[in-house]
Amino acid sequence: MATTTATEATPRRLRVSMASARLHEAGWGYAFALLPIAIFGLFFIYPIGYSIYISFYHWGILGKTSPGAGTFNYSQVLHDPVYHTALKNIAEYTLVVVPLEMALGLGLALAINQKIRGRNFFRSAFYFPSIASSVAIVTIILFIFSNDGLFNHLFGSTKDWYGDASTVLWGIVGMNAWTTSGTVMVFYLAALQAIPEDVYEAAALDNTGAWRTFRKITFPLLRPAHFFCLVVFSIGALKLFDQSYLIGGPSGGPDYATITPILYIYNQVFQFSAFGVGAAAGVVFFVLLFLLTVFERFTVGRQEAA
Amino acid sequence: MRKRFAVTLGLVMLAVVLLAASSAQAGHKSQKVTNITFAGWSSGNTTEDGLDQKMADAFNRTHKSIHIQWEAIDNYTTAMTTRFAAHNAPDVFYVDSSVIGDWVHQGVIQPLNSYITKSHLKTNVFYPKLLGAFKVGKKIYGLPKDWSPLAEETGNALFAQAGIRSAPKTWAQLKSDAKTIQQKTSSQHPICLSPDWARMGAFMYQNGGSITKNLTSKANATAVNFYVGLIKSGLAYTPPANSWCGQELGQGHAAIIFEGNWLLPYMKGSYPDTKYHVNPMVKGKQQGNLAFTVSYSIAKSDKNKAAAFKVLSWLTGKQGEKIWMSLGLALSPRKDVPSVGGRKPFLKAAPYARGWGFGNPNFANAYQVMGNDLNAVISGSKTTQQMLSDVAKALKGK
Repeated sequence: MATTTATEATPRRLRVSMASARLHEAGWGYAFALLPIAIFGLFFIYPIGYSIYISFYHWGILGKTSPGAGTFNYSQVLHDPVYHTALKNIAEYTLVVVPLEMALGLGLALAINQKIRGRNFFRSAFYFPSIASSVAIVTIILFIFSNDGLFNHLFGSTKDWYGDASTVLWGIVGMNAWTTSGTVMVFYLAALQAIPEDVYEAAALDNTGAWRTFRKITFPLLRPAHFFCLVVFSIGALKLFDQSYLIGGPSGGPDYATITPILYIYNQVFQFSAFGVGAAAGVVFFVLLFLLTVFERFTVGRQEAA
Repeated sequence: MRKRFAVTLGLVMLAVVLLAASSAQAGHKSQKVTNITFAGWSSGNTTEDGLDQKMADAFNRTHKSIHIQWEAIDNYTTAMTTRFAAHNAPDVFYVDSSVIGDWVHQGVIQPLNSYITKSHLKTNVFYPKLLGAFKVGKKIYGLPKDWSPLAEETGNALFAQAGIRSAPKTWAQLKSDAKTIQQKTSSQHPICLSPDWARMGAFMYQNGGSITKNLTSKANATAVNFYVGLIKSGLAYTPPANSWCGQELGQGHAAIIFEGNWLLPYMKGSYPDTKYHVNPMVKGKQQGNLAFTVSYSIAKSDKNKAAAFKVLSWLTGKQGEKIWMSLGLALSPRKDVPSVGGRKPFLKAAPYARGWGFGNPNFANAYQVMGNDLNAVISGSKTTQQMLSDVAKALKGK
């Protein structure tokens, strides 16, 4: 009897001590996470919540200017043709720039993943535009593509590529695809090097050609990297501000060709002191960004999980 | 005996030194020094930025109870917005006439009327249109620091090649001279025109129009069509994205431009070999010009308003303005302080030049609409009337 009690008591004690150990471990885990969570809450969650709050008020430099605005600010934003243009611009920009960046980045990664001489030099050279100052790059690009710049001298044109409403956005696409491709390259390079060699050896034994190997092995095995790059660089592209501001000025000119949602928010807040409208524009854009990320998660992301 | 005398003398001297030191300290304590910050944007030009410091040094030399410190602020409007919100604005600061309307509407600028009355400061020494740029109703929100209207600058080389001896004075002459230059020189488009209402607005006033009243009037539409027509006809061109009309004149691409006093130091620094003339602005039906002016103002939340006003009145006073004018970077807003030589064509506009911004609280937004719509009119995607009604709406805050 006594033996039976002892044998029954042992697993219970074990369960209790296991639970206590888990609790102890979780406690330490939460303790370690507390500081980052506090920082995240203070600098991300709180401002987001506060922006939502502001978006329901007429808000000036010194705070509330009237008791409540209801959905007035949202109506202002949703009926503003400038915001519509900003959304149209950023949609066109993102749809072109992200695939271009990914294609360029993947191409560069494949090139420098080969065992070639001076590989380290090319890695640095391709990555360099990503770390160079965007102000410096924009200044140089404006000189090259001005009506009497190098580009027009070479191709016999007189167009001011970054001063013309019909070409300026595509100019920014080209510039950013080039500057960002270095960062994309780094992600793809890491993913390429994670593909096991034996897969390629098996393909080589089957006499598979280079293109077929890429199409059937490399590209599908890079799916996690595709998803990562798509999400991260889509969000990055949608947040376009600096190049747009440097080229078109705060007004997003010429003829609103460089206005973007972030520039619109910046203008509402810092140029027009309309904090409520700026906050509402921010909330609308946040919702759009969130929906896009969810869409990407359930399309490309689902395949990746599979 | 001698030893005792030496000890006594030493003690007396020590007492004298201690007394002197303590009285100096007491004196120092009794005269409380108020620290005042005066701030503005950085011009990016070390000479100009140095001039602000020179003003601060001159003030500090002559004032014992107030000590001022110059602060150059980058990205000015954005930085000042955040500082107003944090109740941390400098004591005295620059305000461009184009933003004063909004900042007054936001309640962040201190009206100066009571301080002006108390100090018996005479405001009639300022050109009325410039002081008016910082007035909303009867309240004065700043005293003008400096200003510049537009003038017509002409490149000597292209004019000589075309055989034209004097600069155009009227719209008709502007057109005919540009045609002559186009025909007789290598210049394909002799006039450089910024796609900017801050230039075109002067033509609207020259045609009897106005930016503040009845914007969609025929007079305004005619002026816009004349301005845009110069570009569409090929007599004028807009500067490329990385340039401005001053640069175009300096490089010899443009024969005629319309810029302010800021052009003169720029040309001296960047194109010292380019010879050019500064002429009064062309005339339409009447004289018309815009005044780009900046004030010194005080924040409503400022804790040292009395001292700040003393600084402000000194900076905009005769002495302060004399120092500020010494390098010829701007024009004096005071009738009793002369600007440096060669500025006559600018100064002639003082009685009729309208303060840019017009005290309108929606001006920042309207100015963006102006710029974008003017580009659209030039490219043909919008009509003049559409632009005028868009801008009229934006000025009303709609």
